[in-house]
Amino acid sequence: MKNVPTKDILLFRSCLVSVEYPGVEASTKYVFDRLGVDYEISPKQTCCTGLGHYSDVFDQIDTSAIGARNFRIAKDEGRPNLVMMCATCYAINKKSVKLLNKKDDLRNHINQLFDENGLSHLKYEKDDLKPTENIFHVVDILYAKKDEIKKHIKYDLSDYKIATHHGCHYCKVHYEDTIGGVRDPNIMDEIIEECGCRTIGWYDHKRATCGTGFRQRYSNPDLSFTATADKMNAIDDEDVDILVHLCPNCHIQFDRYQHLIAEREGRKFRAIHLNIAQFIALAMGGDFDKVIGVKAHTVPIDSVIKDLKEVGK
Amino acid sequence: MTTQKISDSPIDFAEKIIRDVKNSKEDGVLKCVQCGMCTSTCPAARHSDYNPRDIIERVLEGDETIIEDDCIWNCFYCYTCHSVCPVGNSVCEVNQILKQIAIESGIGYDKLYEYMGFADSYFTAAIGAIPERFFADIDRDVPGWWDFRQNLDEIRKELDLDPPLMPSREVIDEVSTILTITGFKDKIERIRQSEEDENEERTD
Repeated sequence: MKNVPTKDILLFRSCLVSVEYPGVEASTKYVFDRLGVDYEISPKQTCCTGLGHYSDVFDQIDTSAIGARNFRIAKDEGRPNLVMMCATCYAINKKSVKLLNKKDDLRNHINQLFDENGLSHLKYEKDDLKPTENIFHVVDILYAKKDEIKKHIKYDLSDYKIATHHGCHYCKVHYEDTIGGVRDPNIMDEIIEECGCRTIGWYDHKRATCGTGFRQRYSNPDLSFTATADKMNAIDDEDVDILVHLCPNCHIQFDRYQHLIAEREGRKFRAIHLNIAQFIALAMGGDFDKVIGVKAHTVPIDSVIKDLKEVGK
Repeated sequence: MTTQKISDSPIDFAEKIIRDVKNSKEDGVLKCVQCGMCTSTCPAARHSDYNPRDIIERVLEGDETIIEDDCIWNCFYCYTCHSVCPVGNSVCEVNQILKQIAIESGIGYDKLYEYMGFADSYFTAAIGAIPERFFADIDRDVPGWWDFRQNLDEIRKELDLDPPLMPSREVIDEVSTILTITGFKDKIERIRQSEEDENEERTD
């Protein structure tokens, strides 16, 4: 497995996490603190442009120039390891690092713009960061620390039926760096095992998109929800209680629109939706309101998790 | 009958795509063997007329009318095609490049009208917020969402989250400058002008 750092980390804030599921950020911090991961958050770091980029509003040069600024902040703070809570931030930033290192024309053009406009302090030098050695998703760090997770588990969640939804922008964009499989993704299933639980493993459409498709959800909702229904039906066929996510955009598609898609399909869907950090934080004893942030969820967490059983009791 | 505009050098179109800054697959598009793996795994192909294999066929034929074809806007950007292609091509990236060509030429402007909010929120708050024009739809489709958003500050406070959502003025100014010097701001103004012109034509 590739070398995954557990120190000098800049935990990269995500727009969707911040405004839709802030409990993902609180849970990530809670779990990282218990696992001894050395991280900080910078108030200077801004959004990766991902939502605008994949709605075709931002072109590559806009996204990579914003990326260069964020990479400079990470370097200046002595935290060159960017760790993302959102799969799209992960894909966007890794691609910008790759392009800025490889494409001299792009890098020189952006640096020249910075020089000519009083932003020389933001210049990106070739190989300032390396795509494989510096750009990670939170799941990579959790995977690297997975042997330590079990020491901190307080609650036994093994009675629930658990499945995983691996975000496309973690698994498929930079597939050469993906841990735990691309066509049969299992990184989260392996991490969940360290919490004393077993997932259902493979299910129909396991590797498929959540259906958000960025502009599809807003401009083309029929196409979007039809694609989501493929997966939601498969999950309900397996009678899943908890679907575990690693991307806030997928999380929105499943949690916010589950009842709407259930109506369209003429079925009742019952799964609750937790990010992998929220799942682990819950198993470690994190408070529903102060850590997990359940108030942000549309499908109520307590519709499935009614009481918690301590391990060994 | 569909008409095709085939240039004298069909390969020029593919080469333009290969030279695009967004392309990370070198000359992958030229290696396409039309096996159809992309189409067989594509969620948009499963549920619409979108056909990634056909897109590459047309690109390799030099058929530049593809940028006018509405179907290119059905891609989910899920990168499934990109991850399974046996010759290392990425229809997903080619698709994004085709759309940027459509936007540069003005053909794709109307596809961006609804998404101008992503640009605005960058200049006002350096954040990629969901455009406000979708709020009514979200409120209709997601019960309780609007109330949740009204309570966001309180929920974040309970979670002890710091720093706050709004970056400092200095950060917003720096980001606004970057998006001005890359030409982004001018592009957004052209798109907005085009929408206003269309609205005026409609009311005339």
